[in-house]
Amino acid sequence: MKRLLPLIALTFTILITLGCRAQKYEIAMITDVGTIDDKSFNQGTWEGVQRYGKEHNISHKYYKPQSKSTEDYIKTIDLAVKGGAKVVVTPGYLFEPAIYVVQDKYPDVKFILIDGAPNNFTYDESGNLVGGEERIEDNVYSLFYAEEQSGFLAGYAAVKDGFRNLGFMGGMAVPAVVRFGHGFVQGAEYAAKELGLDNGAITLKYHYLGNFEPTPETQTMAASWYAGGVEAIFVAAGGAGSSVMKAAEATENKYVIGVDVDQSGESDTVITSAIKMLATSVYQCLDVIYNDDSQYKNVYKAGQKMTLDASIDGVGLPSDFSRFPNKQFTKQQYDTIFMKLKDKEVPVSKDMKPDNVTFEEFFNLEKVQVTVIS
Amino acid sequence: MDNLYFLLQQTLYFAIPLLIVALGGMFSERSGIVNIALEGIMLFGAFFGLLMVKYIQDMQGKEVLDNVSRQQLVLIVGLIIASLAGGIFSLLHAYASINMKANQVISGTALNLFAPALSIFIARSIPFTNYTQQVNFRGKAFLIKKVPVLGDIPFLGNILFQQVFITTFIGFLILILCYIIIYKTKFGLRLRACGEHPQAAASAGVSVMKMRYLGVIISGVLAGCGGYVFIVTTSTQYNATVSGYGFLALAVLIFGEWKPVRIFFASLFFGLMKTLASAYSGIPFLANLKLPSEFYRMIPFVATLIVLSVSAHKGEGPRALGEIYDPGKR
Repeated sequence: MKRLLPLIALTFTILITLGCRAQKYEIAMITDVGTIDDKSFNQGTWEGVQRYGKEHNISHKYYKPQSKSTEDYIKTIDLAVKGGAKVVVTPGYLFEPAIYVVQDKYPDVKFILIDGAPNNFTYDESGNLVGGEERIEDNVYSLFYAEEQSGFLAGYAAVKDGFRNLGFMGGMAVPAVVRFGHGFVQGAEYAAKELGLDNGAITLKYHYLGNFEPTPETQTMAASWYAGGVEAIFVAAGGAGSSVMKAAEATENKYVIGVDVDQSGESDTVITSAIKMLATSVYQCLDVIYNDDSQYKNVYKAGQKMTLDASIDGVGLPSDFSRFPNKQFTKQQYDTIFMKLKDKEVPVSKDMKPDNVTFEEFFNLEKVQVTVIS
Repeated sequence: MDNLYFLLQQTLYFAIPLLIVALGGMFSERSGIVNIALEGIMLFGAFFGLLMVKYIQDMQGKEVLDNVSRQQLVLIVGLIIASLAGGIFSLLHAYASINMKANQVISGTALNLFAPALSIFIARSIPFTNYTQQVNFRGKAFLIKKVPVLGDIPFLGNILFQQVFITTFIGFLILILCYIIIYKTKFGLRLRACGEHPQAAASAGVSVMKMRYLGVIISGVLAGCGGYVFIVTTSTQYNATVSGYGFLALAVLIFGEWKPVRIFFASLFFGLMKTLASAYSGIPFLANLKLPSEFYRMIPFVATLIVLSVSAHKGEGPRALGEIYDPGKR
C-alpha cells in the first residue's frame, strides 16, 4: 500500500490538472483593489460581464490579484489567458502599466480597460512625469467616463432642489475624482444662474480626504461641516461615504449625494448618486467584440480612447427623484438638463485646474463661492 | 458655544470606544499577558454584534426601526453578542500564550491577521449578508437626541445628555466597575499580583493560570464590546475594518500607565486631539485662522509628545508583563 501512495498521488495530480484544463473561461475580469462586491467599481464591471456572459452563454470568471502591484496584475492576466480568456476586463487606472505590457504579449486577446489608457509613464519623486509613452494597440478598448457630467448633474440637482450650502469630499485628487468635483461645482453654478440667485449665494466646501476608507476622522469632519451649516455633501470617495452618511444621520435635514453606483440603499440620507453606468458600458463593449453587427460599434472603437458621456447614457443620476427633501427637483427637470448635456448645449469643462488658480477664476464662477480645504 | 458642545460631543464618540478597549487591555496586561490582539478582537466582536443587529432589524417594521427607545434594546442585544464573541475569540490568545507558552506578541498578531479574514469569509458564505462582506444596519434610531430632564442641565446636559449614544453611559459604567474590580476586590489584587510577580502569587495559593485566563477573557469581552461601539457610533456598516483603533487603544493603555482613571483621561485627551485634527474646517473660528491642514493633523502627535515629556513618570508597566509563567523560577 505504501508503495502505491505516490502512484495514487500522481494520478490525482494528473486528474486535477486535466480537470482544470477542461474548464476554460472566455471572458475574464481582474479585480482592482477592493472586492468583487464593493458596491462600486468591481461590482459594476462584474455585473456587466455576468449579464453578457449569461445572455450569450459565454463562460466567464473573475480573478483577484494577490496584491496591488503591476507585477501581480500581469501575473493574474497571464493566469487568465492560460485559463482560456479571449477577453480580459480590467477596471481602474491602476491597470494602465499592466495593460501596456500585455497588449503586446497577447495580441490575440482583447482587453477592456476602464478609466485608463495603457502607458508606461514614469514619475520622479514629486510626482512629475519624466518619461514613458501612452500607446493603445488595436486589441485594447480604453474607456473613460465623463465624470464631470455626472458631478454636474448632482450639483445642478442639489441647487435646483433648494440647497445653498454644499460640500464636496473626494477620496484622492486622481483624475476621475477631480472631474466629479469640478463637475459638481459647475453644475451648482449653472443651476444658480438659471434660478437667478445673487452672486455668492451658494457656498461650497471642497476637500480631498486622502483615502477611500470609512474612518471616524471622516465622520468627524463631515459632522463639523454639517454643524457649520453645510446641507448636503457629495462624497466621491468609495467606502468613506458611509462615514459621511453616519454624520448626516446624527442631525436633522442633512443629506448625502453618493457616487459611482446608486447608494440610496445604504442610508435614508442619500438623496441621489452621481453614477457611471459601468455594467451597461461593459455589456455594450463586449457586444461590440462578439457581435460584428452590434448597434454600439460606432461608439466603442479599439485602439483609441473613448469617453462615455450623457450622449450614450454613460453617466447620469438614478431614476428615483422622490428623495429630494424639498421636492423642487423633478424627473422632468432632470430629463431637460440631461437632454441639454446630450446635445452639448451645456458645456461642462473637464480641464484640470492648476493648483495656483482659484475655482472662481478657472470656471468663471459668480454664484458659487468655493472654500478649498487643503 | 454650540461649537464647543459639538467638539465635546464628537470627542466622546472617539473617546468611549478607546476607553472601553483600553480598559480591556488593562485586564490582560495587569495579569501579565501582552494583548496586541485588541484590534482583531474589536473587529470580531463588532462583526457578530452587527450580524445580530441586522438579524433583528430585518424582522422589524419601519415603525419599530424608527422608535428610539425600542432600538436601544436592539443596540444592547448586539452589544452583549459582541462582548461574548470577543470573549470567545480571545480564548485563542489565552490558550496559545498561557497553555502553549507561545510568544504573546506573535499570537496576538496572528489573531489580528485572522480576524478580518475570518469575518470576510463568513460574511461571504452566508446568504444573510447577500454574500457581501459588508454588514449594513440602520443606526439612525440608536442616537438619543436628548435625554428628558437631564438634557436640560446647562453645559453638562448639552455635552452628556444630548446627541448621545447609550453606549456613552455604558462606557462610564464600565470605567467605574473596572476601577472597583481592579482596586477594591480580592480578584483584582490577585490579578495584579500575577502580573507583578506570578511566582509570589502562586506561593500564596493563587492559580496564576486561572487568573491569566480570566484577565485575557475580560479583555476580550471589553474589546469586542468596544469594537461594536466604535462601528455603531461612527459608521453605517461593518466593512471589516476598525481603522487601527485597537492599536490606538494600546497607546492609550500605555499612556494611561495601566491605571483606570488615567486611561480615562488619556482616552479623552486622544479623543479631543483627534477631533480637533479633523473638525477644524467646520468650525468658523479655526477655519478663519487659515492655517495649513498639516498643522491640525500634527496636533495629536505633538500634543502627545509634549504631555509625555512633561508628565513622564517612571511609567513602568506590570513587572511580569509578557513573561511566560515558569513555576520553577524564583
